[in-house]
Amino acid sequence: MKEGKIELIKDGARLSGRGFEELRPIKIEVGVLKRADGSCYFELGDNKAIAAVYGPREMHPRHFQNAKRAVVKYRYNMAPFSVDDRKRPGPDRRSQEISMVSRKALDPVILRELYPKTAIEVYVEVLQSDAGTRTAGINAASVALADAGIPMRDLVSSVAIGKIDGEVVLDLDAKEDNFGEADMPIAMVARTNTITLLQMDGRLKKEEFERGLKLAMNGCRKIYELQKAALVEKYSKNGNGA
Amino acid sequence: MEKEEGIVVPGDFLGTSEEFTPGMGVYDETGNIYASVTGEISISDKRVIDVLPKVGTPPVPEEGDVVIGRIEDLRDAVAVVNIARVKGKDDRDVASSTQGIIHISNIKSGYVSELQREFGYLDLVKAKVLDAKALRLSTEGNDLGVIKAICGKCKGDLRKKGNTLTCDTCKRVEERKLSDDYGKGLV
Repeated sequence: MKEGKIELIKDGARLSGRGFEELRPIKIEVGVLKRADGSCYFELGDNKAIAAVYGPREMHPRHFQNAKRAVVKYRYNMAPFSVDDRKRPGPDRRSQEISMVSRKALDPVILRELYPKTAIEVYVEVLQSDAGTRTAGINAASVALADAGIPMRDLVSSVAIGKIDGEVVLDLDAKEDNFGEADMPIAMVARTNTITLLQMDGRLKKEEFERGLKLAMNGCRKIYELQKAALVEKYSKNGNGA
Repeated sequence: MEKEEGIVVPGDFLGTSEEFTPGMGVYDETGNIYASVTGEISISDKRVIDVLPKVGTPPVPEEGDVVIGRIEDLRDAVAVVNIARVKGKDDRDVASSTQGIIHISNIKSGYVSELQREFGYLDLVKAKVLDAKALRLSTEGNDLGVIKAICGKCKGDLRKKGNTLTCDTCKRVEERKLSDDYGKGLV
């Protein structure tokens, strides 16, 4: 978190002109990749992520198989052109950790016990980034899993909250993330209010945390409705998508 | 059979377990039934509730399904098949273990003296699933058996001549349990 003198809130409004509890515009497209079993393109403001799901298919190497349930593999990757300075391609410590926590955010909703000895592979590519790419990735992956026809308990929705100029706000953009005081992404199952991912960078007071959590949960519910609508729209018009 | 309008997505509440018996594409959690795949609701006369998927679902070989695979190993009494596809669901990988087994007694209805005379290494076979759990397969029947084979000596293509196969390059003659579809490229 850079020390900044940038004023993030001017006359009670954010730099982007959004309200404190307002999400960035969201665009969801289902089934964008022809050769993937399931896919989804997700836009959250200037974040652009694409998720592809393959499988369940037999797990290789064999010793990674689980005899009772499917194993989920998740790869979060940022394209070299996704940030202002070129990002060195390939996995790094940051993307490895994000892959791990994102996998754990989706694991509990997938009915993994139906496909023993197999692997479900989720590939998330970030094409453009503007803070909150892991949440965009999880949202995309969740819809892509549903598009792949993999049985799930529910969809997972994800959004971040943060603190800028002493105010708790929903869905930080890159400027707010860099010069703000805290950033907290969460992922949850909207129907059951089950939180499957919660990370925090920076400091929040107890009251701020509680307020932020409530804000994020409301944001997740809104995204959940959009995810549902995207799936319904895709599959109610054409007879059989796939 | 009763169909309801509209599409449900995973997590949509469908009813309680007092109302319905959970079928396919749904799951039961603390007495409530929810959808687990995207599709349309269907309620049978016996109050079994299913979600008929609108999305492509992962293919799992079931008893009676026809599968396509390649012979990976030949032993005295069994041939090991690596299952590639379930017939009718050719666009997706098999969502289970892929190692199937054909026992010598399930190759054909007649007497089999040697397994090596019915299958060759790397043959493509079409087989029916006898037991989905252990993936025991059978090639009994005219349409089932080897659909593509290569010469054991020179790896050249084998062409069907009557009931035997002849190698295009070295003229070697081999025997197989042939499917009617041998060499036609049909699955």
